Amino acid sequence: MTQQTWDDLGAPLPGPEFRAASDAIVTNIEQVIEGKTATVRLALAVLLAEGHLLIEDVPGVGKTKLAKALARSIDCSVRRIQFTPDLLPSDVTGVSVYNQENHDFEFKPGAVFANLVVGDEINRASPKTQSALLECMEEHQVTVDGTTYELQTPFMVIATQNPIEMEGTYPLPEAQRDRFTARIAMGYPDPAAELAMLDAHGAHDPLQALRPVADAATVRRLIATVRDVHVADAVKQYAVDLVTATREAPDLRLGSSPRAALHLIRTARAVAALESRDYVLPDDLQALAVPVLAHRIIPTADAQLARRTTDAIVADIVHRLPLPHHRSQSPYDTRPQSTDGRGDYRRM
Amino acid sequence: MGLVAAVATLMASAPLSTIFEQWTWIFQCTIAVALIAGAATLARTARAPVWAQFVVMVVTLLLALTWLFPSGEEIAGLLPWSGTLEHFGDLLTQSGDDMRTFAVPVPDRDPLLFVTVLGIGAVAVMVDLAVVGLRRPALAGLPMLAIYSVPVAVYPTSVSFLPFVVGAMGFLWLLVADKVDGVRRFGRRFTGDGRDVDVWEPSPLAAAGRRLAIVGVLAAVALPVAVPGMTSGLLTRFNGGSGDGVGLGDGSGRPGRVNLFAALSGQLRKTDVVTFARVTTTDPDPFYLRFAVADDISSEGFRSRSPQGRSLLQLEDPREEPREGVSYEQYSAEVEISSDFQMSYAPTYGIPIGTDGLDNQWLYDTNQQVVFSNKAKVNGKDYRFDFIHSTFTEAALRAAPPPDPDSLEVKRFTQVPSVQLVQNRVDSLVGGETNTYDQVMAIYRYFSSTNGFRYELQTEGGTAGEDIVNFLTNKKGYCQQYAATMAWMVRAAGIPARVAFGFTNGTSRDGDAMVLTNLNLHAWTEVYFGPEYGWVPFDATPRTGVPGAVRPDYAPDPDAPRITPSAVPSSSPGAGSDSSSDLPGKEDPGGNESLPSGPAPTIPKWPFYTAGAILLAVLVLGMPAFRRGTLRRRRRAATAAAVSSEPGTATVLPTTEAARRSRAHAHAAWDELMDTMVDFRIPIDRTETPRATAERLATAELRGDPTGGDGARLLGQAEERARYARSPLAGPGLPDAVRSVRRGLVNRASRRTRLVAAVFPPSVLGRWRGAVVDASTAVVTAMSRLRERAGRLSPRRLLTNRAR
Repeated sequence: MTQQTWDDLGAPLPGPEFRAASDAIVTNIEQVIEGKTATVRLALAVLLAEGHLLIEDVPGVGKTKLAKALARSIDCSVRRIQFTPDLLPSDVTGVSVYNQENHDFEFKPGAVFANLVVGDEINRASPKTQSALLECMEEHQVTVDGTTYELQTPFMVIATQNPIEMEGTYPLPEAQRDRFTARIAMGYPDPAAELAMLDAHGAHDPLQALRPVADAATVRRLIATVRDVHVADAVKQYAVDLVTATREAPDLRLGSSPRAALHLIRTARAVAALESRDYVLPDDLQALAVPVLAHRIIPTADAQLARRTTDAIVADIVHRLPLPHHRSQSPYDTRPQSTDGRGDYRRM
Repeated sequence: MGLVAAVATLMASAPLSTIFEQWTWIFQCTIAVALIAGAATLARTARAPVWAQFVVMVVTLLLALTWLFPSGEEIAGLLPWSGTLEHFGDLLTQSGDDMRTFAVPVPDRDPLLFVTVLGIGAVAVMVDLAVVGLRRPALAGLPMLAIYSVPVAVYPTSVSFLPFVVGAMGFLWLLVADKVDGVRRFGRRFTGDGRDVDVWEPSPLAAAGRRLAIVGVLAAVALPVAVPGMTSGLLTRFNGGSGDGVGLGDGSGRPGRVNLFAALSGQLRKTDVVTFARVTTTDPDPFYLRFAVADDISSEGFRSRSPQGRSLLQLEDPREEPREGVSYEQYSAEVEISSDFQMSYAPTYGIPIGTDGLDNQWLYDTNQQVVFSNKAKVNGKDYRFDFIHSTFTEAALRAAPPPDPDSLEVKRFTQVPSVQLVQNRVDSLVGGETNTYDQVMAIYRYFSSTNGFRYELQTEGGTAGEDIVNFLTNKKGYCQQYAATMAWMVRAAGIPARVAFGFTNGTSRDGDAMVLTNLNLHAWTEVYFGPEYGWVPFDATPRTGVPGAVRPDYAPDPDAPRITPSAVPSSSPGAGSDSSSDLPGKEDPGGNESLPSGPAPTIPKWPFYTAGAILLAVLVLGMPAFRRGTLRRRRRAATAAAVSSEPGTATVLPTTEAARRSRAHAHAAWDELMDTMVDFRIPIDRTETPRATAERLATAELRGDPTGGDGARLLGQAEERARYARSPLAGPGLPDAVRSVRRGLVNRASRRTRLVAAVFPPSVLGRWRGAVVDASTAVVTAMSRLRERAGRLSPRRLLTNRAR
């Protein structure tokens, strides 16, 4: 197991190579997941932003398939954990066992010691087991019996969960949810894509035929490129404004954490790089606000009663929040105010 | 709301109560206002548009006037006809006369009532229109304030504040009613703690508003009263109130070197009206009731000499030596002096020849022609006297011999301190005249409104040389300045003159008796026409300021138009000039002719004024467009400079200086695009990124215009890179892009939008408005900070801190 330090990523890739490498991964995954380019690119962006991905949707729309396709497209170590109610934290992180030959305890690494960890049905495990992921997700390390073990780079947790089934599940704790960079929903494929899926998956599983198109070193260089993307002060300000707005929104009991702003900027960098830009736009933040912020916030009881989803609340905030003034800008906003009734906070 | 508007109008008309003697006007006004309000309500019930409501109200006002002031020519007694309108014109004309003739408070006279009802009705129409039609109740304050300005303008001094309070309450009620109505229309009301309030329940927050309103009214009333410098303020009243405030004498009981001028001005400026005398006379056309003269002149101005006299039993009758051209009529008069008139002089008419009711303490000064006492005061006296009313004809006065330089009168009463300006003015006035009368008349006519003289009570008093010069320069003053200045000037012409004090005939009557008050006190000039004619009075003060003024035939009002006997008053609109001729500042042909040194025939000035006003309006109205043009040119220049040497595609600039410059260029182009969008009423969304805005412009607003769309996208890209990228985009085409977008928008916009964008660019106007709002916000913020700082020094807060 070659241990890579966190900052030793290699040289950034120049534009065309970056594009070629990223496009190859996207195309590869799309052989398995049809008609979901945006979702696939977002998943890749989360990987390049050194984040973790939470895929949440009803059964049978390809959550696990997306996770596995992403893992398989990259030639690196992949571990899969099927979360069940009886799964123990040691199954995730690893355990020290007594070696009789040299009369010593020996650490047996758990499932997280891989570049990509696919955690399936993560909400089926007990909170204790779910919490085992806390340290490794944020700090990229595992501490067992007082010894700290560094994880490899890239390290990404792709977790799936099913929001419909409530029986025998344990909703993710807030701290756990906050560690996921983005939550995406697969959504049903459109009819054409579904038809194509029937053709492709009818005879054999395309997942088996999937070949890796990039290795861990390439991904590290991609990550280095993403880190190099320029973020203007105005964009940073906008990110701060966005998370502040979630904290002040009357519909929300809990707003976004500072980590959310960090994740937002990181993901925006990755998205900008995937679009061959070396600078982040407010447009990127606007597009990412729902996937990055919506799963971290908790609506008030009133908002829940009004069946306002967190997605809608975040979208509404994005719709209302003005861009930061980068200089003396025109002082007028001729947009008619709240005529659409979309964000009628006073509606009760 | 209509009802509230009507009642508020009536409340606002409360100040008029100080003008009229009786309360008839309020019934007529109430009828008119009620009719108007009812008509407006009917019109609204029929869902008539605002202009139709206005028309209905005006017609109702006309009908109400017709009914209240019938001329007898109406159809069915109600519908106005041409005769009615003529009648109204007559009433208007007469009201002008009445205004001149009567002093406040005026009796009920049809013309005045007509004007009042017309005015109140017009105000009611405007208030209703502002409050209900336009829903701008604050605007209704203006016509209501106009009502209040009437008594303020009519009263020479100041007006009681109580009617103002009533009017202000009415206005505030109007505002409150509007707000309450607005809240009710809004729907649900709730308090700060979230409790719902019933629609008809008074809001718990209203108490604060009521308190604010009361404090505001109190402050509005209390502030002017407390501030010194405004007449009849508290402070002046404290200062001058020590000596009972009414006595004119010096308190010693001895008439003498009293400054009658100061006493006169003090009385005229008083707020409250005090009755001084009740006079009944057999003279059908009496001149002024006269009690003192000021015939001594020094460096400090005119003063009274101590009168020297003989017993009242030895009065001379001038008829013993009759003269040519002078007619003497004997009349008698009865005078009842009130206790407030504490003088050592007994007012009389003309030349008294016999008295009854005055004991032997009273003496008569033949020279000054005054009845005086060295010991007693006249207050409370009730006496009667016979007197000779002398009337002079113009011809007789003209035939009077020039003043004899050796006579005592000429020696005593032509002394005047030398003031060069006065002397020059007198020389130019009397230069061409040969006889005494014409010389005096030249000076007399000089004080006409044609020469810019106005009646104004609020001027500095004083009759010393410099005060005379001041008055001749400012041309604003009241009787004492007119009388003293004319006397001074006549003396400067070498003719004996003095100032006489007395009462005008006033306007208030009690049966046969004239009721004379402190406001009827007056001063005029007397000129000595030799021993044959004696002292002849001239009153140079404009009649507008002097209620009950009398002009003898030999000295007609220089401001009055010359009425030829054949002129029949007509009811045509031209007759209206008769009523306005006395107003100051109006052109007066009569005064013009009589003055040899009158202004040269003037070219009508109004075309120049009109042209100037139009030019000014064009300049003011053109400013937004001009500003927009300069902005556009400047930005285009800035953007055009960005055109790099190679006109290829957009390139990314690496160097910082070039980057900074091209950033500025992109911003300039983007600003221009934003302003263009604002001008063409395309909404700007501050939550939109440049990319999104450009895309919206290209796909929605400029659909089917690929050039414009590409231009918009290019501008968006340039701005986006300028804002967010490490290195901005530079390249030609930004000015072209702006131009193409603009062209696309022009093609798409309606004619009206295009016109507005060209003439009143909303972008410029909006920015100006924003600047004004910002400035006012800054002022408010600074004020509140100041208040907070001042509040820190408040003793109350210090006390609380100590208690803690």
